[in-house]
Amino acid sequence: MSRLRRFFGTPEAIAGAAILALLIVMALAAPLLFPGDPQAIAGPALLPPFQDWSLPLGTDRLGRDVLAELFHGARTSLAVGLAAAAAALLIGAVVGTLAGFAGGLIDEVLMRITDAFQTVPSFLLALAFVSIVGPSLGVVVAAIALGAWTGPARVARAEVLSIRERDYVAGARVIGMHPLEIAFHEVLPNALPPVLALSSVIVAAAILTEAALSFLGLGDPNRVTWGGMIAEGRTVLRTAPFLSVVPGIALVLTVLGVYLAGEGVVESTAVRRSLS
Amino acid sequence: MSVLAVSNLAKRYHRGGKPFAAVDDVSFEIGPAETLALAGPSGSGKSTIARLVLRLIEPDAGRIDFEDSDFLALSGAALRARRARIQMVFQDPLAAFNPRATVARVLDDPLRIHGIASRAERPRRIAALLERVGLDAGLAAHAIHEISGGQRQRVAIARAIATRPSLIVLDEAVSALDVSVRGQILELLLDLQRRERIAYLFISHDLGVIRAVAHRVIILDAGRIAESGDARAVVTNPQSAIGKALVAATPKLIRNRP
Amino acid sequence: MTALLSIRDLSVRYRRDGVEATALKGVSLDVEAGERLAIIGESGSGKSTLALAIAGLLAGDAKTGGRIEWFLPASHPRLGRDIGFVFQDPSSSLDPVMPVGKQIAEVARTHLELTWPEAYAKAKTLLERVRLPDPDSALRAYPHQLSGGQKQRVAIAAAIAAAPKLLIADEATSALDTIVQAEIVALIRRLVAEDGMTLLFISHDIALAATLADRIAVLRHGELVELGETGQILDAPRHAYTRALLDAHLGLDAKPLLDRQGTPA
Repeated sequence: MSRLRRFFGTPEAIAGAAILALLIVMALAAPLLFPGDPQAIAGPALLPPFQDWSLPLGTDRLGRDVLAELFHGARTSLAVGLAAAAAALLIGAVVGTLAGFAGGLIDEVLMRITDAFQTVPSFLLALAFVSIVGPSLGVVVAAIALGAWTGPARVARAEVLSIRERDYVAGARVIGMHPLEIAFHEVLPNALPPVLALSSVIVAAAILTEAALSFLGLGDPNRVTWGGMIAEGRTVLRTAPFLSVVPGIALVLTVLGVYLAGEGVVESTAVRRSLS
Repeated sequence: MSVLAVSNLAKRYHRGGKPFAAVDDVSFEIGPAETLALAGPSGSGKSTIARLVLRLIEPDAGRIDFEDSDFLALSGAALRARRARIQMVFQDPLAAFNPRATVARVLDDPLRIHGIASRAERPRRIAALLERVGLDAGLAAHAIHEISGGQRQRVAIARAIATRPSLIVLDEAVSALDVSVRGQILELLLDLQRRERIAYLFISHDLGVIRAVAHRVIILDAGRIAESGDARAVVTNPQSAIGKALVAATPKLIRNRP
Repeated sequence: MTALLSIRDLSVRYRRDGVEATALKGVSLDVEAGERLAIIGESGSGKSTLALAIAGLLAGDAKTGGRIEWFLPASHPRLGRDIGFVFQDPSSSLDPVMPVGKQIAEVARTHLELTWPEAYAKAKTLLERVRLPDPDSALRAYPHQLSGGQKQRVAIAAAIAAAPKLLIADEATSALDTIVQAEIVALIRRLVAEDGMTLLFISHDIALAATLADRIAVLRHGELVELGETGQILDAPRHAYTRALLDAHLGLDAKPLLDRQGTPA
């Protein structure tokens, strides 16, 4: 309770949480407010915003409803961002825990693999992966996670290295607990907080990477994405700038919201730690 | 017959590039229901011996026979199964438990791992263990950090006896406790020893406590045994230089009671 | 004897996670100039809170009542200048990335208005006084290069650098082994005698306190239960709690708990 109050104690956290809440509402409400295919033609092409109140944000080159696309795009951005970040955190936490807890050769091998992934720019990695496997939602998620798990892995390993020397880990060995149970049941949960603190940055980066892939035409072609909308609007940037500006603003606000809310969580837990 | 027989145990560490012997040619035996104390200044190798005996670290040389079989030959599942018989209680009971654990989980783990009781039966066994160490069974639902230091050390003892061990290593197990609690915990340990014939390897820097509870004592200095013998005899009349220094340094409460 | 400070009806309360906890309630006592006063108690007795309150080191969220009156030329004693404080854990009270000589010199320079060379000369003298082997190289050593006992000697040297009137040792020997503890207690006894300092010795160990103190104050649950001359406290304790503490002490002459009739074969 007091933790929640501390979270909402800073204006940044409130702003971040409000933006995220709006985004989630948009994503959930999309199929209710705009049933049917958002990529279907809804009116005349290139209708500017605030002209026709049945199409408040106007239409694009093909006469598709921009507001409907924006709502459905929120769904994709959020789904891809959260799924990719969750996958990256999961892979990172497992690899980091195994490396830190096992030590020796296993640690060496896993950390060299981590190095290898870290030296390749993550966007190039995603680009290459999607071009080879072919664009679909799952592949995009995997491609983004592939470049994002190394950070969590390093943080998890460092934390596990300090935790595994504690008495309670020795205590778990003394009662005959299996090493894997010690690693994942006793050590990992206590190593998670600093790993989870990375999640806001990873989610924000994942949303941006997804947008960039879609912008380059490597997103799932069957889904509306904000990156795809920006790319689509680019060809008519002089005559209808709103087609790129509207999803661009949505993207900026989303990343900002994720980041601010994440900072709020870190801040509120940091206060708690310093008190105890 | 001995519960534990250690011979020519050695462990070296490297400190700043130079090797130094943490434990050097240490041999001793502990019989059933016997308390052997290890005393010595910090860095004398007391805790290293405890960790070697428990196979938390591996020796460079020597032999450890536990219940008349080669303890160092065991590994993997066989070692984990054998651990039921040799348990440990740490100095700081807060550090010795997972910070997220509840009392119930701490006591459930050994019962589950060694298949001592079925899932349905375990809550009853946990309640019985708590009562055995003088705690209320209702404490099971509490988180470890919610209970007092003395209660935590009782829970640690309950966990150690859950698997019916023949030997418990007590590593400064009463040093962090208030004196009023310490006496009760020592009484509990002695009572358990009498009833269940548990042997203790009792590590302490406090000669007063050692004299009060141990049968025999080994005084260590720089990883080697400086002297050993009957606990009361050694404390009353130490022969080694380190033994004399330890006795001289122990604060004496001189009371002229009427 | 004249009083150095007088504590009247001191109460301290902390807030922890929204719950108010009382650390001290209505403690009154006088500390005489030049005496060695031990404050003993178990965990939660408030002994450390009392030490921090006297040193003016209480956390900002602590609520205090009552007053502490000082009989010093300066109306507000300064920590470091008038009060030296030695903590339990020297590793956390020393700066890990500064040579220990500089840490001591800094105290001398700040409070005695010395130049750096004078302060370093003073630091060297202090390291000699606390009997650190090879004070010249110790000046340049970092805390991690020293043993626990040596670090505590450095912390004591820093605490007495400005020749304070009052030295407070808060469980200063609890983290050390028996032999080193005895050495540090001997060092404190000698320094206090040489400089005519007043000593406040905070400890959980009544036997250790008795080896050093002229008077002993016994705290329990934030209250002062008994205060008296060391001999009176040991031989004729007035309070049942003091008696219980004395009886719980396991000295080298105490009756063993172990029943030798049941000695194993």
